[in-house]
Formats: sequence, structure tokens, C-alpha cells
Amino acid sequence: MRTETRGMLDRAFTGTGVFSILLLVAALLVILAPLAVRGLKAVVFQGTVEHRRVLLDKFGRGDRAAVQAEIAEVVEARAPVYVMMDRFQSEVEAMPLSQRRKMRAEFQEVRKLVGAILGDRSGGPASLLMRNQYGATRWDRAQVKLQALLFAETWDYSDNSSFGKKVHTPRAERFSGTALEPMFGYFRGNIGRMLLPRRTVYWGFFTDDSFDSHLFGGIWPELLGTLYLAVGAMLFAVPAGILAAIFFAEYAGDSWAVGFLRTCVSTLAGVPSIVFGLFGLAFFIGVVRVSPSKSVLAGSLTLALMILPTLIRTAEEAIRAVPQTYREAALSLGGSRWHTIVSVVLPAALPGILTGVVISLGRAAGETAPIIFTAAVSVGKPLRLWQTLTQPTPALPWNIYNLATEHEAVEEVRHVQYGMVFALVGMVLLLNLAAIVLRARVARKLRA
Amino acid sequence: MKAKLAVLVAVGLMGAAVGRAGDNQAIAVDGSTTVGPIAKAFAEFYMNRNPGVNITVSESGSGNGAKSLMNASCDVGAMSRPMKPSEVKGMEDSGRLAKAHIVAMDGLAIAVHPSNPLKGLTLAQIRDIYTGKIRNWKELGGPDQAIVVISRDTNSGTYECFETLVMNQAKMFEKTEYVGSNGAVRQRVMDTPAAIGYVGLAFTEGVKTVPVDGVEATMDTVVEKKYPIARPLFFYTNGMPKKGTHLESFVNLYKTEEGRRIVEDTGFVPVAL
Repeated sequence: MRTETRGMLDRAFTGTGVFSILLLVAALLVILAPLAVRGLKAVVFQGTVEHRRVLLDKFGRGDRAAVQAEIAEVVEARAPVYVMMDRFQSEVEAMPLSQRRKMRAEFQEVRKLVGAILGDRSGGPASLLMRNQYGATRWDRAQVKLQALLFAETWDYSDNSSFGKKVHTPRAERFSGTALEPMFGYFRGNIGRMLLPRRTVYWGFFTDDSFDSHLFGGIWPELLGTLYLAVGAMLFAVPAGILAAIFFAEYAGDSWAVGFLRTCVSTLAGVPSIVFGLFGLAFFIGVVRVSPSKSVLAGSLTLALMILPTLIRTAEEAIRAVPQTYREAALSLGGSRWHTIVSVVLPAALPGILTGVVISLGRAAGETAPIIFTAAVSVGKPLRLWQTLTQPTPALPWNIYNLATEHEAVEEVRHVQYGMVFALVGMVLLLNLAAIVLRARVARKLRA
Repeated sequence: MKAKLAVLVAVGLMGAAVGRAGDNQAIAVDGSTTVGPIAKAFAEFYMNRNPGVNITVSESGSGNGAKSLMNASCDVGAMSRPMKPSEVKGMEDSGRLAKAHIVAMDGLAIAVHPSNPLKGLTLAQIRDIYTGKIRNWKELGGPDQAIVVISRDTNSGTYECFETLVMNQAKMFEKTEYVGSNGAVRQRVMDTPAAIGYVGLAFTEGVKTVPVDGVEATMDTVVEKKYPIARPLFFYTNGMPKKGTHLESFVNLYKTEEGRRIVEDTGFVPVAL
């Protein structure tokens, strides 16, 4: 080949390499940046007085005197709304029957929307569910609800050949001439005074219990559950995986049976995770009955089975990569075979083994399918350590799915869902980082 | 050193979790996604009153609720359909008795996109849509658009109720899309102008519900037994829960004044006592 051609090919190759790395970085940015931005909105947002009330009532956090002063302030700002509503109520009672019915239905809708923004009326009867007790805790949601209150959404079906078009009619028009009409204008002008939005940094999102189907509070039960499951899986899988790897690398030899076993392990690595989930349900919960219901224990065992093949393969490769001379030196000094493995081979293979552990840990934390039937629930309290043996837990991967599709008020918990995604990705990244640092340190120590 | 620190932090986290003392009473609820909102609200309310109790709720479908109760891996099976004879027998075979508690009433609302001009459907028309006899909104006086038919999966109690009350066991159209929860049906319909689906009463926010045989799907019409596709929602337990246990008071919450209000607040119909 001519030197010129070779140089050109060389450059082309380098160029492609650089380009693909750039592409990877860009892809990561495209995926991670919105994720981080949206996720952080669960922590940093415009919080209303309702948010501060929740914090004070449920967690005893915040300056009691200041919050109470704010509450007094908003009660005063909200008072005219209730006066107008009361006045309208008595007007309705005086209307002729046919009109009364229609007005009542419309008024009911208005009352519901007002309740969604402001929560329970101060001094009135208290609702049973938190979602009705408290108004909008987030300013962005309050704005959306305000729009719904000010403008009724109707659909224009006059064009028969296509689907209807959305029409927004001011609700005030529907109540024109009544005592309720000015309320809409008042709401528009004074919503800020009624809710006192303020820039809020809510770190408690990661460490608080959640309340009322994730509508309030944080994601601590999910975070803790994920941690339990991932660590639990490692507890079972790492010792078993390393022992199996030692067997394969040092003792097994090359017989037909060992080859078959190896194939089995490889096959196991390719089994879809949902199959492990169903196996966990049938075996650990159905047959062995490790716990009376789904539990962290059953979930950890299932996850452990799922990550075991990866662990075995990486550990085996790491052990094989240890130079034969190490073993020979140890044996020549009179060390037994087992002694050689434990004190010479394993330490030398440790960085490689740790890599496998890291990959598996990330996978165990992020997998959804194996825990659906064995460990995960939609709501539950954060567990204490001994409870993990018998009780199920919410866990980030499952709850993200649950909030995204099954939840009864998906729009209201969107920020929680993004916060969970952020927490999960962050957790996996942190675990990986920690392990990479650990690996680097071990490697350096070995070289020294 | 840093490695030790990391280990310390991990241990500390676990310790913090262990440190939160209290007695541990656990109730596991598994099953229907329709009953989910009620079960979750009940759990929230009950745990608020009894801080030592941990009630976990899974929303995995009525079929799974029945299965979990059959192999005793949950305490309460939430179901949006009655247990089938085979399931009752399955429980009896392992020496258990299926006890049903009707916690609320629900109507299966027929949901379409709000832009759909449809004014109403008859039961027969709904059946024809789901069997594939009616395939275009044009045939119902609407725009010329193929109907996107959404249904729950076969593990769902909502599906089985729909099958009995509407389909009369007729086979569903092969192009039907099956999705895994009420929330998912609702979102699919909200995003698709040409879609039709069916959901529990608590999942109608953001979609248009179509009157069936001239009757709107509302709490009132379900109470008055006018709405044709109504059904009870169940908590199933293994025999009668023992008197005085948390399980007993939790399962019977629906009979209390507060329980009835919670049922109503979540969008369902409290049962007549």
C-alpha cells in the first residue's frame, strides 16, 4: 500500500473514532440533560404556601411562626372568594327550579376547581384525603388549574367531517350577572396573594416519606427500597459468583461437563429479565416461600440470580488474566493451592472482579421486571432492615412505571416521576463512580 | 480510607433505616388497578391513624390479586370482578375460604377523546365496535376515521366485566389494542382522537365519557342502578378476618362514615349499607 493511502486511511479511521465519541457524548447530553433539568424540578420549584403547610404539618419542618403568619395572610386574601361563593349559593337557592339544577352543576365544578387550588376552606370541615385538604403545592400546577377555573374547555363539533375543535370560554360569562362573576377576576388578580409562591429548594424530596399516592412528600421509601434490593442482590450474588468463577478458572479443567456448565451460564446471561421475575414468583414465593408475601428478600434473590452469570463470567476472565507466573511463584514457595488462590490470585484479579460487580450493581438497581412479582409495590412505608425479610417495598424502577401509566392522576405526579428517574440515574451513576474509584485505588495499591 | 468511608456511609444509611423504631404489623394488598385508588387511600388513612402498621398496595390486575390470595402471598386481594368458581375452588383446595367484601360500586365508563362529536352509544353499538363490525366513526355519524379500539388485558377484572356485561362472550376484534391498566387506557384515549376505551369511574378525568343507552356514567346513575355497565368492587380475604385485628378494621373501613367519604373522594360510589 502506498504511504499516502495508508496515511489517508489512518486519518479516516481516527476521524471516525473521534466522531463516534462526539456522537456518544452528544447522545448522553441529549438524554441526560433534559432528565436532569426535569428531575431537578422536583427539588427546585416555585413552592406555594400549601407546600410549606404540608412540610410543617407532616414533617414538623419550617419556621412555625412564619408559616402561620403566611397562613393568616392567605386566609385574608382568600376570604373574598368564599364570601362571593356563599353569596352565590344563596342566590342559587332563590332561582327557579329548572335554572337551579343547571347552576348547581356548574357551581359544583367551580367549587371543585377552587378546592384544587386552595385546598380546604380554613375553618370549614376538613377533608379526609390530603389531596383535598391541601391546595396546589406547586405554582406551575396552580397556574394550570387557574386556567381551568377561568376558562371552561368545550368542544366545537359543528364541522361534521372532522373531530371537534377546542374552544375556551371564560367561565365568568356563564355566571354573568350573579355574585360569582367577580370571583374569576379576583382570582386572576390575586392568585399570587392567595398562594404566596416562592422559590423553594426541597431537598427533603429524596429523604421524606410520600403521602397520599405520591401526591405529597418525597421518595424515600422508593430510594431505600432500591438500595435494599441492589445491596441484597449483591450479598447473595457476589460470594456465589466469585466461588463459581474460581471453580471454573482454577479447578474445572476442560472436560465435556465443564463446557456444558459454561454454556449454561452463558445461556442464563441471555435470559430476559421478566423470565427471572416469573421464576422468582413461582420458586421463591410459590415453592420455597421465603416470605409470607412479596418481599425485599425474594426480590434480592431473584435479582441475584439474574446478575449471577455476568458476575461469574467477568470474575472468571479476571482470574484467568492473572499471569501464570504468579501462581507458579506462590506454589514454589510451598503455598497450597487454595492458599495461592486466596492470597495471590484473587487480590491480583480484584480490579477485574470489581468491574463485574459494578456493572451488576447498576443493573440490579435499575431492573424492573424481576421485582414486579417478587418485591415491588405501589405504596408502602420505608422498611427497617429486619422487615426486608418479610415485607415488600416500593422501588424506583417499578414506581416510575407505575406513576407514568397506572396512577389515577398522572399529570399531578409528573414531577415526582421525573424526580424518581433523576434519583435512579443519579444513584446508579454514584454507585458506578464509587466502584470505579475503589477499583482504581485497588489497582494502584497492587502495582505499588 | 475513602473506601472505608463509603462503607461507613452505606452502613450508616442502613442503620438509620433500622433506627426508626416501632412495632411491625404488615398488611399486603394486591390486585386490581381499578380498586388501586381506593386501596391506596384506605391504606394512607389507616396508617395515619395506626402508625405502627405498614400497608403495601400493589396494582397488578384482578387476576393477579386472585392468584396471590390463592397462594397466600397477600392478605387482601383487591378485585374489580367476582372470583371465578375455579379460583374459589383453588382456595378451597388449599383449605382456605374466599370471603368477598364489596367496598364500592363502579361504572365502566365508555371513554373517547374530547374532540369526538359522538353523543351516545347503545350497548349493541359498543359490542359492534369491539367485535369489529363497526370500524369507522363515519358509521356512527362522526368523521371519516378508523376507530382505534383500546381494551384492558385479559388479566384485568375490568376486562372480564366488560366481556360479560357488554360483549356477551363475543370475541374481540383482532386489531384491539390491549393495555395494562385503567390509567394506561385513559392516557391512550387522551392522546388519540380516534380512540375508544373503557375505564372505571375514577379514571375519567381528561377524556369524554359517552352516555350508554342514553344514560351518562356518573356516580348518581350508578347509585340509581340506571347505568347499564355497573359492577361492584371487591376486597377478598381468606375467611373472615379475625376480630380485633388490624386486617379486620382495615377491610371493614368501607363500612365506616369516613371510609364511605374516601370512596366518594376517590371517584367511586360508596355501597348502600
